[in-house]
Amino acid sequence: MSDSRIQAGGDAAASQPPPMDGPVSRRWFLSRMAWVSSAAATGTLLSKVPAVASPRGPVVTDEAFRPVLPQVPGDLTELTLSESMTLIRSGAVRPADLVNAYVDRIEAFDGIYQAYAARPSREALLEQAARVPPGGADAPLRGIGLAPKDNFYTADLLTEGGSLVFEGFQPDYDGTAVTLLRSAGGLVLGKAQMGNLAGGRAQRYGTTIPTTRNAWTPDLVDYSPGGSSSGTGTAVAARLAVAGLGTQTGGSVVGPSNAQGLTCIKPTFGRISLHGVIPLSYTRDHVGVMARDALDTAILLQVLAQPDPLDPRTLGLPPAPNYALAATAFDGERPRVRWPTRIGVWPDFLEARDEDTARLRRELVAELERTPGVRIVADLRLPDDYEALSSGALGGSHGDPTAFFIEHLRRDVRNFGDRLPRFLNGMLQSADTYVKVQQARQLLLHRMVTQLFNQCDVVLIGGSGAFDGTGLPVMGFPIGFGTDEDSGSRVPRGAVLGAGPFGEERLLAVVAAYQAVTGFHREHPADPA
Amino acid sequence: MQEPKVPPPTDEELDRYIRTRYALLGIDISVLPVSDPDAPMDQERLLRNGRSILREDVEVANFPIDPQLHLPQPFPAPFTAWSDVEDRP
Repeated sequence: MSDSRIQAGGDAAASQPPPMDGPVSRRWFLSRMAWVSSAAATGTLLSKVPAVASPRGPVVTDEAFRPVLPQVPGDLTELTLSESMTLIRSGAVRPADLVNAYVDRIEAFDGIYQAYAARPSREALLEQAARVPPGGADAPLRGIGLAPKDNFYTADLLTEGGSLVFEGFQPDYDGTAVTLLRSAGGLVLGKAQMGNLAGGRAQRYGTTIPTTRNAWTPDLVDYSPGGSSSGTGTAVAARLAVAGLGTQTGGSVVGPSNAQGLTCIKPTFGRISLHGVIPLSYTRDHVGVMARDALDTAILLQVLAQPDPLDPRTLGLPPAPNYALAATAFDGERPRVRWPTRIGVWPDFLEARDEDTARLRRELVAELERTPGVRIVADLRLPDDYEALSSGALGGSHGDPTAFFIEHLRRDVRNFGDRLPRFLNGMLQSADTYVKVQQARQLLLHRMVTQLFNQCDVVLIGGSGAFDGTGLPVMGFPIGFGTDEDSGSRVPRGAVLGAGPFGEERLLAVVAAYQAVTGFHREHPADPA
Repeated sequence: MQEPKVPPPTDEELDRYIRTRYALLGIDISVLPVSDPDAPMDQERLLRNGRSILREDVEVANFPIDPQLHLPQPFPAPFTAWSDVEDRP
């Protein structure tokens, strides 16, 4: 096995400490989520205070670095985040070399991809990279270029949320997530284009004219890059950034990741601070990480999974475990999942919308079934009233965005473009309905935990909807390639894996074991002609 | 669940309600074209969406949830979430 991320010692897997989804009290998580609903209703999660969170010392352990020094490729942008970290730490690659490699590609190709909305100069990035001292254990991301979505506040770059509503908005502080990345030595290569106010794919502000291209089809404007974290998806897939940050309220991290062959994680609600992110729904918004493989997502999650006094949703959670370790598969007769894991298959998972995807999903399940430590649970029973509780009015969040945007709505409703209804709906949803919807979310969450995750540890799902509404974690990852029916282009296909509260380690372990024997995550698209 | 005994409002009645609600908060939707499928948004689509949201209230009201269950009340939780340390790993 050539993958240097596989840890020797198959039998040792049985003696691993259990992942966090086991010992954490489910009753505790449920009661905590009930508080989030009530706090959102009373507006107590609002804050206008600048982010001042400080890292808790070194958070990324040696598991994040490659044990075998990777070869230095001619094009440094072909390195994964973990490989880049390893080579920078060893001195084989300088941060400035990495910065220049990415800026070269951005300058050459972003006119076509349109992944970025705003960028700093090359000189500014090189200056920032030079300020991070070498060898600092607190700066594992030294020289690593990242692409946060344009709804993350940045003190040095415009934050426009893909919309006329925030055109020209310049925050005077960084959001907590950006603060943490920069504190770890990371660099913001630019603010990634996004769907209008975190909905749909990126468009020219105030119009329905698409901008960002899918990295796999740069000549086809109609083939979607996925939304709403479109620019981040394209930046990472086209190697205009090592990795990036998105946000997900309803599939906006897994969508572009699946569409562009990326690996992503949207962790349990509250795991990453939302302070300094333009809000959409106080009860459903999540920060997510978009990268090239399971280990890369684990590294960024490790940096970001910290309590933030400025976001009470992040407080009181169990301490973050070692995600990088979880994303390291064991090597037995073949790579195995770190912990014995029951993988559920959602009842309609194998009934995909096209034959390519259906075939790839069947192959995925078969591959997982061959993985030591995995048991497939094919006959899942869904929670009671699942359809009613997870969709329609009860499963929605119609009222959430309105309160924050009242002043913007008064100024000119035309600035909201095609997203206007989403932001006016809160004025029409009655208080009794809003309360009932919050109750329904708690009821669904309770049933997901007690009636679904009593049958399995993780579950393969067609979409992330119920997991966004309940705050449960998901990962997206590539499972192969299909053919776009309209253009005949070869395009990536992906799958989504969901877990119970704090099940991130379990997700990372399964995806890492899968990626140890498949190569879809290593493929990247050809450059534009 | 007992069925409502009054006739449901018409589209026209709901449209008046929606416009009044927006106007009450100082929001002017008359700046949008009345009906233009090529525009990013028009009044016709906006009102159609608003009517569907209002009518969803009925669906929500009709779904039974035990009122003793999972109350989104303020606050059991700062005490639980921020001080219930013995329940954590």
